[in-house]
Amino acid sequence: MNVAWWCSSTGQVWAWRYTPFLGVWVLAGGLIGGYVLAHRRTGHDLDPILTRRFVLGVLAVVVVSEWPIGALGAGYLASVGMLRYLTYTFVAAPLLVASLPGWMVRRAAPTDTRRGRALAFATAWPVALLAFNSVMFGTHLPPIVDGLKVYQAGSFALDLLWLGAAVLWWWPAVRPDDEPGTIREPIRAFYLFASSVLMFVPAAFLTFAPLPLYGLYELAPPLWLGFDPTSDQQTAGIMMNVGGGLVLWAVITALFFRWATSEQAADASTKRARDDRVLARIEAMATDAGADDDDAPDPPVHATPI
Amino acid sequence: MTTPTPSHLLALLALLMALAASACAPSTSTAAVSRGLETQPDGWRGLPLDVERTMPDVTLLDTDDRPVELAARTAGSPTLLFFGYTSCPDICPVHLSAIASAMRDAGVSTSDLDVVFVSVDPERDTPERIEEWLSYFDRGFVGLHEDLEVVEVALAALDLPGPIVEGPDPRGEGDLIGHPAQVIGFDAEGNARRVWPFGARRADWISDLPLIVEQWS
Repeated sequence: MNVAWWCSSTGQVWAWRYTPFLGVWVLAGGLIGGYVLAHRRTGHDLDPILTRRFVLGVLAVVVVSEWPIGALGAGYLASVGMLRYLTYTFVAAPLLVASLPGWMVRRAAPTDTRRGRALAFATAWPVALLAFNSVMFGTHLPPIVDGLKVYQAGSFALDLLWLGAAVLWWWPAVRPDDEPGTIREPIRAFYLFASSVLMFVPAAFLTFAPLPLYGLYELAPPLWLGFDPTSDQQTAGIMMNVGGGLVLWAVITALFFRWATSEQAADASTKRARDDRVLARIEAMATDAGADDDDAPDPPVHATPI
Repeated sequence: MTTPTPSHLLALLALLMALAASACAPSTSTAAVSRGLETQPDGWRGLPLDVERTMPDVTLLDTDDRPVELAARTAGSPTLLFFGYTSCPDICPVHLSAIASAMRDAGVSTSDLDVVFVSVDPERDTPERIEEWLSYFDRGFVGLHEDLEVVEVALAALDLPGPIVEGPDPRGEGDLIGHPAQVIGFDAEGNARRVWPFGARRADWISDLPLIVEQWS
């Protein structure tokens, strides 16, 4: 059986014959093993919800990096390449970020250490926003794609960049609110919105470019006749618009409603507390008035608007 | 001794994979061709020929099995000539797709220049199959075939090697056949002027097609 280390463009004829990518399985095994080992060594129980998120995140990486999606995306179809990018960015990264227990983060990067400061710097929202968008723009430039994806090391580096930048980007938006650096509404909505808008730029280039931008996909052995590289590229652009734009906007909308609901609940709670105080005052006044009844005639009653 | 943390493990894993990756050889010729052709000093993308060659004087058969004298058929208009086969999984469809697409974009049609495909696989390339296959690109492309001996005469006239069987097609569609990968451009007088090797992209053709029509007609 043919085994490759990592998915990259080979220029070879596409055949529906399974080609395992060893590096994908090593990476997945290392990640899951490291996660379990970290719990064991520190005596923490595996949280079922966090563990499920972590496994799903790793699974997402495996699915789009292994054959056939990995190979198709790395060397044959720009649209499948985009599917890989979107999965790394919008599925794997948020799941992985949301799966890390707080103690693990504090242990790996204690707040007052150099690593902790580096993490805090890298995940500060302006830095994360800049890093994510720089990687998004940079890794979709034709010279970068054509120059890197033809080598296994280059292709691997691109995948790591995608995942790493997406992890940084999701960090301030997804980590629990009580962790340092986490952002809340309305900054969080702006943060996600800014990226969704910026993502339209490369998506528009892909969608509306009259010629194939990437030589890699243009000159790749076609999977079938009739689906030319320009159509493939337009499909990739539309996917980026939908995945990067609409999905993000859906997340923003959901976060906004959650925020609005919590604000409403907070308002209601404040109003309830104020009502309680007023009622208590009225009761106190009534009690005082009852006590005065014994000594004096009733005072004239007047309503106090509340 | 310090207990390894998850970040230690991840860093080690990344390092090992990077080392393993750097040990991998660059993959195939894709790396060399994906950037397309460079612009020549005279502004063309196609490479100039430094030897004098003319359109081979052979008689082939069209997709209706009617004899076609190649040199006579193509005289009077610029011609792009390509030798390939319809089961070809990579170079042939990529070349013809690029030419067809660029012709549409550049506003050039087969009334301005001939695009001639000559099969090097007479066993599998029936006239019907050639016609159907070319229709994926442009119905105006001319498909020709003949026995291999005749095709080899045409190839030899252009100093091109004959086809060779390279081994089984991984898609399970018979054998892969090695054949010249370049498109050869002839002017209206039948003189070979330039070649476009594999790696010529649509942008290269869009740049050169108007020059072909303008300067070679």
